[in-house]
Amino acid sequence: MHRENRKKFEEIVESFVELKDTSELMIDLAYSSLLLDSKELADDVEKLEEHVDQLHTDFELLVLSSKFKPEEAKGLLGLIRLGVAAEKIADAAAEIAEVVLRGVEPHPVLKLAIEEAEETVTYTRVTENSPLVNKTLREARIPEETGMWVLAIRRAGKYIRPKPGIKIENGDVLIASGYAEGEEDLKKLASP
Amino acid sequence: MSHPLEKIEYKPISVRKLLVEMKNLSELMIDLAYSAALFNDKELAEEVLELENRVDVLAYLLNMEIMIAARDSKDAEALVGVSVVASATDKISDAAADIAAVVTQKIGIHPIVSEIFRKVEERLTRVKVYEDSVLAAKTIDELDLAARMGVDIIAIRRNKEWIIDPEEKEQIKPGDILIARGAPEGIKEFKELAEAKLKKLED
Repeated sequence: MHRENRKKFEEIVESFVELKDTSELMIDLAYSSLLLDSKELADDVEKLEEHVDQLHTDFELLVLSSKFKPEEAKGLLGLIRLGVAAEKIADAAAEIAEVVLRGVEPHPVLKLAIEEAEETVTYTRVTENSPLVNKTLREARIPEETGMWVLAIRRAGKYIRPKPGIKIENGDVLIASGYAEGEEDLKKLASP
Repeated sequence: MSHPLEKIEYKPISVRKLLVEMKNLSELMIDLAYSAALFNDKELAEEVLELENRVDVLAYLLNMEIMIAARDSKDAEALVGVSVVASATDKISDAAADIAAVVTQKIGIHPIVSEIFRKVEERLTRVKVYEDSVLAAKTIDELDLAARMGVDIIAIRRNKEWIIDPEEKEQIKPGDILIARGAPEGIKEFKELAEAKLKKLED
């Protein structure tokens, strides 16, 4: 395998992984928006849906413009199919979020389901003087300190999956869920 | 599909419980489907196709709950959303089946692609349990991997059979192939434990 070819493969895989990660993040956020009755979270899912469409197009263009040999094409067809599946997943997540956004007063059956949760979603901006700045999520130990669970990080209009190695930056918005009493603790930690 | 379709009987179950289970099952299916594609495992892919039935049953039950709860047009307006969620969940499980189909229909993924993919996808792993691993002869409950390192065993391959979403009382045996998901550093530790490079379970 030529080095140049391998590099092309790497670029394609990287593009796919972003598509895959985003679509999975959307499922998590969509169900959370429903169970926690959060319009804000549902709105984020809708925004991510548009982003996924773009990622998917970019990914397919990248594959199509890579001029692979016929014998390599079959293996890439599999990857293209995975891309289509990822977009389908993102669509489904957006449908769930739409239920929340339509904002019909939820039926008692659903209301009961929501109230049983006793949890809330909170958006907290990390300020310059926060001890969280420049720490990885692993080092920050947010669940241990506050009881809140980070669902996603919003940074400069982008949504990042909360992988443990991700470094928290000044200006990040932490989207987290948990019991109401943890919200105050998280706010103190992120914007003291 | 070849198996006969069963009649799904109504049983009272909370909507919340159904929704949470559908969420968990969707995520499980997607992870298993990507694992099947990544490790080019045809049998695991077939298991994913089977799991679709479980999602179908849940969607039926959820729809039944809605029908029982709706007495007038106002109820119907308020409940239609739940039905949309049931069908969206079904769509997610369909997508997982599409991913699995890449393997079962022998389309496959270029070996270099899976090699690079495995390097960047740090959430999923497939490991063999060595004879002298501390994981051997312990139940999933005893290992408590979720609390210890944020790792979740989602499938076990034993004697040519896959055990999907194993129960807490399931005992890990030497020679088992495990599919697990979790935080990258937890996954690394888990792999070392399975391959007996790390001999002690830390608390």
